[in-house]
Amino acid sequence: MERFDTALVLTRVLTSGVVMSIEKNDKELPALERLLTKRSGRSRAVLVNSRTAAIHAALCGQGIGHGDTAVLPDLDPAAASFVDWLGVRAAGGPAPAFDLLSVTPDDAGAFAEAAGRSTAPALAVDLTGLGFGPAAAMLTDDERVWARAERLKIFGAFDLRTMWTQEESEPGLVPGVQFNYRLSPLVAACVRMALTQAATRTPAVTGGTQR
Amino acid sequence: MITDFPSAPLPLPDERDVDAELAEFGGPAVIPAAQRRTVFPVITKEDVFTMLLAQRSDPDKVVADFAGEYREYIGARHALPTASGTSSLHLALVGAGVRPGDEVIVPAFTFIATAQAVVAAKAVPVFVDIDPRTYCMSPEAAAAAVTERTRAIMPVHVHGLPADVAALRRVCERHGLALVEDASHAHSARIGDQVCGSLGDAAGQSLMADKNFPLGGEGGIAFFASDEAYARATEFLERTGIDYRMSWVAAAFGASQLRRLPYYDAVRARNAEVLAAALGETGLFSAPYLPEGHVHAYNMYRIGLHPAEAGLGDLPVWAVKEAVHELLTAEGVPAREWQNTPIPCHLPFRHRDGFGNGYPFTLNPAAVRDHEPADFPNVVAMLESTVVLCRELRSPVEYERVRRYADAFRKVAARPDAIRKLVAEREYRRPYEKAARLG
Repeated sequence: MERFDTALVLTRVLTSGVVMSIEKNDKELPALERLLTKRSGRSRAVLVNSRTAAIHAALCGQGIGHGDTAVLPDLDPAAASFVDWLGVRAAGGPAPAFDLLSVTPDDAGAFAEAAGRSTAPALAVDLTGLGFGPAAAMLTDDERVWARAERLKIFGAFDLRTMWTQEESEPGLVPGVQFNYRLSPLVAACVRMALTQAATRTPAVTGGTQR
Repeated sequence: MITDFPSAPLPLPDERDVDAELAEFGGPAVIPAAQRRTVFPVITKEDVFTMLLAQRSDPDKVVADFAGEYREYIGARHALPTASGTSSLHLALVGAGVRPGDEVIVPAFTFIATAQAVVAAKAVPVFVDIDPRTYCMSPEAAAAAVTERTRAIMPVHVHGLPADVAALRRVCERHGLALVEDASHAHSARIGDQVCGSLGDAAGQSLMADKNFPLGGEGGIAFFASDEAYARATEFLERTGIDYRMSWVAAAFGASQLRRLPYYDAVRARNAEVLAAALGETGLFSAPYLPEGHVHAYNMYRIGLHPAEAGLGDLPVWAVKEAVHELLTAEGVPAREWQNTPIPCHLPFRHRDGFGNGYPFTLNPAAVRDHEPADFPNVVAMLESTVVLCRELRSPVEYERVRRYADAFRKVAARPDAIRKLVAEREYRRPYEKAARLG
């Protein structure tokens, strides 16, 4: 993304005054969720603040926790260490519990295609490579996987509903350990613009000879 | 363009407003509906410019420079910038030497992240009652909860008032425990000259955009008093691969906000003083307790209720609280509950699934308790007898607004008949009989 465009996005969000993730009138996080679900073809998105958080959301969303085993995709040493720290053991098998996709400026335009190839119940998408700091998402078609993953976040969708309505919206969905994996609206806004531009940009024509 | 700039200034109050009919019963509200919004965080041209400069810098340097500058402000030996307050608390505990299965003593009244950070460190939170005046962890209760498996005591500087660190330190020294601060409410709060975050062996602090010192969204920072503690935390990050890094976007915003923090702190302190003076004259209300030598950050402003002083001593205090909340909200001052249930009675600590299959609670079953609110009588008494101003006073609000807050409390305190009427008509419930709320 061009620096000018980044500056424009950052200035727009700062001018709105809404820079906190649990603001009722935040529009940046829902907008990124909509973009990711639309591009990926998955119906639900959980935004998080790091790649490892997305992996955690993918596992936790499927009820896979400490002491459980799961078929894992190819993971780099850091991600494998993280899964080990969660207490999840790797099992053999052809169908991984989740797929992991990393997006960079060079391949952001192909995100939809890459996401479409994923067949796992959950898709962890690392958006850190876009350049706005750690950012990620977990995408799924399974409502229950989404709900459990949201429950993993302190002040995720369910905690906010309880705070605003003063009634527990889903008492049957009990959270275990919770982390603050919430993504910042400013980061979400930049990520959204980067993904949007990558998908719409056509190669520049240079030299003026083809006019 | 969407902007948070106020649409109209708030007029200075008129002293006759206090004698008008209550807004609940059709009178004019002390703060008109169109002018109730309090802007927070305050975002200035300096914030925008710093952000734009940051995008031309190395992202790691933006974060490191911010962390270094804030560490100096706090006076801590080491700092680790993080993605959230919860992750900073987690690293503070790890740095302090907390290991799986250890017990960490925490107050039963705090934000849930305090206790969840203990679980994240794979330790077991042991909940204790609070001091009835400061609302911070009771040193006596903490001392009584120490066992052979206790590794650390983690007080919270509740609402921005430093906990009784001297007494807690004595407990720690007696038993060889680490003192880990949760300084998430306590930016710039001090005991003497020592700033919260530098009082313990380690500390965690939220810097989310709704805190007194806000970053651009979510963020946190862990502080360490020794090289060893810092080394343990960095080794943990390396070993586990967990990504707790702070975004440069959040850090850049914090860099410019830090320079204005003392200004906003001074406005908050002034507003707290103005309101305290007014509350003290009402009889029904009292300002937060402030021990000698402590500097309160006023991240929240918890107001005591004294029904007997207003001839309402025959009514349950929790019902008076609900009525007062209703009347104040109608006046445009949403003095509310912040928390309604002791943390050990929230779902994650009643069910204790942890990371899955009960881990890490299964490592130390002897430390686990099934708690009821009544186990923490001081927490329950506080929840039943106080209301809280949050962003309404955390925001460095204008002088005319804080004077109107004062008038709203005066107006409600002058109408015990209205409070009595609401208590008779409504079906109020005790705080903890409602669904547990995080905020």
